[in-house]
Parts: sequence; structure tokens; C-alpha cells
Amino acid sequence: MTDDRLRVTSEGPIVAEGRREPLLLPRGLRRVPRGVDELATEHLIVNMGPQHPSTHGVLHILLELDGETVMAAEASLGYLHRGIEKLAESRRHHQVGTLLDRADYVSGIHTELAYAMAVERLMEIEVPEKAQWLRTLMAEINRIASHVLFVGTFGMDTGSMPTFLYTMREREALVDILEAVTGSRMMFNYVRPGGVTGDLPGGIIEKLETFLSTVDTYLDEYDVLLTDNEIFGPRTKGVGVIDRTTAIAFGMTGAPLRATGMDWDVRKVRPYAAYAQLDFDVPLGSQGDCFDRYVVKTAEIRQSLEMIRQLIAGVPEGEYTAKVPRVLRPPAGEVYTAVESPRGELGIHLVSDGSDLPYRMRLRSPAYYNLAVVDEALAGGLIADAVVTLGSLDIVLGEIDR
Amino acid sequence: MLPAEADVSRWLAAAGASAEVTTSILGVMARIEAARAADVLATLRDGEGRFDMLVDLFAIDTGEGIDLRYHLRALERDEDLYLAAYVDYDGEAPSAWRCYPAVLYAEREAAEMFGMSFVGHPNPKRLLTTDEVQAPLLRKSTPIRTWEETRRD
Repeated sequence: MTDDRLRVTSEGPIVAEGRREPLLLPRGLRRVPRGVDELATEHLIVNMGPQHPSTHGVLHILLELDGETVMAAEASLGYLHRGIEKLAESRRHHQVGTLLDRADYVSGIHTELAYAMAVERLMEIEVPEKAQWLRTLMAEINRIASHVLFVGTFGMDTGSMPTFLYTMREREALVDILEAVTGSRMMFNYVRPGGVTGDLPGGIIEKLETFLSTVDTYLDEYDVLLTDNEIFGPRTKGVGVIDRTTAIAFGMTGAPLRATGMDWDVRKVRPYAAYAQLDFDVPLGSQGDCFDRYVVKTAEIRQSLEMIRQLIAGVPEGEYTAKVPRVLRPPAGEVYTAVESPRGELGIHLVSDGSDLPYRMRLRSPAYYNLAVVDEALAGGLIADAVVTLGSLDIVLGEIDR
Repeated sequence: MLPAEADVSRWLAAAGASAEVTTSILGVMARIEAARAADVLATLRDGEGRFDMLVDLFAIDTGEGIDLRYHLRALERDEDLYLAAYVDYDGEAPSAWRCYPAVLYAEREAAEMFGMSFVGHPNPKRLLTTDEVQAPLLRKSTPIRTWEETRRD
């Protein structure tokens, strides 16, 4: 049924379809308002981002709203695209880590580690035990630094400003430790093919022990601020539910997948670095809603602290790097290595043609696949919940746009 | 972690595809016809193979054409399988979004970066760059430096 009187756009006559439920995915945006009669409400298209505090970077989401209800959503990416995969094809293997730090700028150690492992597997380099230990320690410190940032920003998304200020206190302490070891607060360039760039400087173990002795009370403060908060619960429980089937179909990994009860953690399933020697649990959720994703992340912080305690209890002796050539020329071949980054399974698919430059470097970004679900997950919810759902996925746009 | 080559051949035969299956440092990889990719993927997901997750889809410029890589995973058995499919530079492959919605972004990115296309994609727009970027960026024929950076005046 068409009715010319309802024409409010330049897109042609409006079709009154009489359907209110969201269409099956994927839909794209419909610029034509839909309604049951002439008094139908026009749908509003709202640009969320790219400059919006809740998009965690420069993400642009187009929302089609019927009142406060999101009828359809479409993410628009690329505002942070720097062509890292292309740039890597003109960098030697030692230099690629510098680019990868800029991919996921909150957890650079993990991206570097995945790349170093890919080169090592192609070249069959044996990494010393001390280097594996240092990599694991730095990766876990980096994971906590990333997770507390998530807790802080997620608190802001749900309307709790103080949480951000408190989590920054812990992040500051951790970033200081990372700076003392790697020389840099965010762009570490610490993990290299063969090992790491340096041993621990003096006094770092003591600094870590001081941090570990106080951090538990700090984590209890997060529970007071968020987990047990009367506002936080209703804002997140049952909101943005992504069930297990959807999560797997969209290739989601990390906390959003584990929040659905799926026990999949690369550190457990396919151990790398020194994780096989560590004793830790994989926290799981059950509902797959925003609250579960938050709870999984906070539980992972405690597990990471437990791992750091185990690690600093037994410092291995030895070299912090293997002897590797100055110019790395991996033999021709393809290899895929994956690490569990704070956002999920981060993989490097490296294709080498035998030269000193990578022929093709593909960064399998966890946040990229976790984000693809928002078109589906936001539809049908409220616009206020869209902010919470997006925040709970813990995306980093540098890694998505690459 | 690695499925047996015989099993992979059997699963692919169920899809009516005869494929060469190889095992390398990467894992088990089967080379299929690009035109049949969507059917083969649907059979691998719903059939005996039960590869329920698509981990990644990306492309490689081989110098003669585009080589697609589908990285599949059977979560319960913890097994990975790679599918490879050749496409011409201006060629096309069927979209696999109906069985693996995970490819919705990845296919847009591969099409944009390599200049090929996926038939049947519901939203075949650019993903990362704007319309001003004409060249397929990840092709080897596209120079890394831009014209602005390389000009001498």
C-alpha cells in the first residue's frame, strides 16, 4: 500500500508496512518511515559519534530511532584507519612491532607477542624460558591495565563518574611499572622475535609486590562502586543480551563469548608463552548480558593478579632473548598464531615469501569481530542501552580500523 | 587441533567439492573453487564437520590474482581448518554471510582492499575508507607512498 500524502523524504512514496519489529539481520538503515496509518511516527536517524564519549574512540553508529527505541543500527568504521597491514609489508620483521603497538593501543604487549610468535614459529626460533616468563608477566600486567580502564569507562557509560577516577589510580601504578620495564607507557615495542628487549630493572619486583598488597582492597571498592550499586544492576542486567549461538556465529571471542558460558580462552586451550605452567581459572558468565561481560572482566583481573603472584614467586634464570640474526628472513610459508588479548583472540596470520619483509600480515582483531554484532545487538533496545551495550563490548578502535 | 586430512576430504566431498587438502606449518588447508565457497562453507558448518565459528576471512594478493582464506573452527573439538580460494583481480565470490554472519565486515573489507566483489552481500559498501580512495589499497600494485608524499617540486 502506498500513500503519497505520507511523503516526507525525497526517496519516493512511503510504504506503510505496519511492522514494528526489527527486521532480520542484516538490514542497513531504512530512510523511509514505517507506520500503520497516516499518523505514523517518522523514524529519526541519529548519528552517534564519531565524536562521542561513549564510542571509545572514533566510532560512528547510525541509529534509526522510533521514539527512544532503536529500530536499526549500523556501525560506520574507518575513522582510525592507518593501513597498518599495508605499512607492515614495507617494514622488516623487527620493525612491525612498532606498528602493531598502534593497532591495539591499550594492550600493545599482546599484539607484539602474537607477531613475535608468528615469526618465531616460521623461523623455528627457540625462545628462552626467562623471555617467556617476562612476556607472560608483562602481558598480564598489561591485561589488568586494560581491564581496569574498561571498568572505568564502563562505569562512565552507565553513569558513574567516580569509578573512572578510582580505576585510573590502579592503571597509573601499572603503567608506571610497564614504563619502568619497557621504557614506554603505551607504545611498548618490548616483545621482539626471539625474546624481549630487556630484563627487569632493579626494584620492579618490590614495586609489584607493593601494588599487589594493596590492590585487593581497591578491587573491593569497584564492587561497592559498580557491582553492588543499585543503579548499575538494572542498567546492565538483561541489557544487550548476546546469546551463545549469535556470539559464535559472529566470531566473537574473549569476555563477550565467555559471558555466554562458552569456555574458550586461548591461554587455556592453546597455551603459549608460560601459561601452561600457571594455575588459573577461566571466569564464565551465563546470561550473556552486559552485567555478565563486566563480571567476567573483573573476575579476570583477580585471576591475572593470581598469575602475577605465581610468576614473581619463581623468577627463572637465563637469557631474556635468543640469539637471532639482525635481519630476519623467515622461510616462505604461512603461519597463524593467536594470543588471548584483553578483548579476545588476537591472531596474526603471517605470509612470508622468504624475504626480509612480510609478504602479507593479517591482524585478526578480536574487537573487529566483537563489534560486528552491534548492528544486531542494539536493534530493539533503548538508546540509553545502546551506550551500555557498546561499552560492555570493550572495543578499541585502533585495532578495529587498523 | 588439526583435523585429519581424510576427514576434511570426506566433509568436502559431502559438499560436492573435490579439493586438494594439504597440511603445513599453518594447519590443514583445502583449496576450493571460489564460485562454490558459500555452498562448501554451509556444508562444513551444518554437516558432519560442524565448524561452528568462522575465525577470520581475508585475502592475499599473489601477483596473479587474489587468494581468499577462510579460517574455520570447530569449537567443541578445538580443530581449525583453512579454506583457500582463488579469485581473479576483478572477479567475484559468493557471500557467505547466511551461514557465517561473521563475514559481514570481513567481506566488505576484502572487497574494498582488493578490488574484487562478493555476490549477495546484503550491504556491499566500503568499510574502512572513503570513496575518494580509488585504488584497492592492499594490492601489491598499489604503491605504499601516496602521490603527495612522492612528488618532487
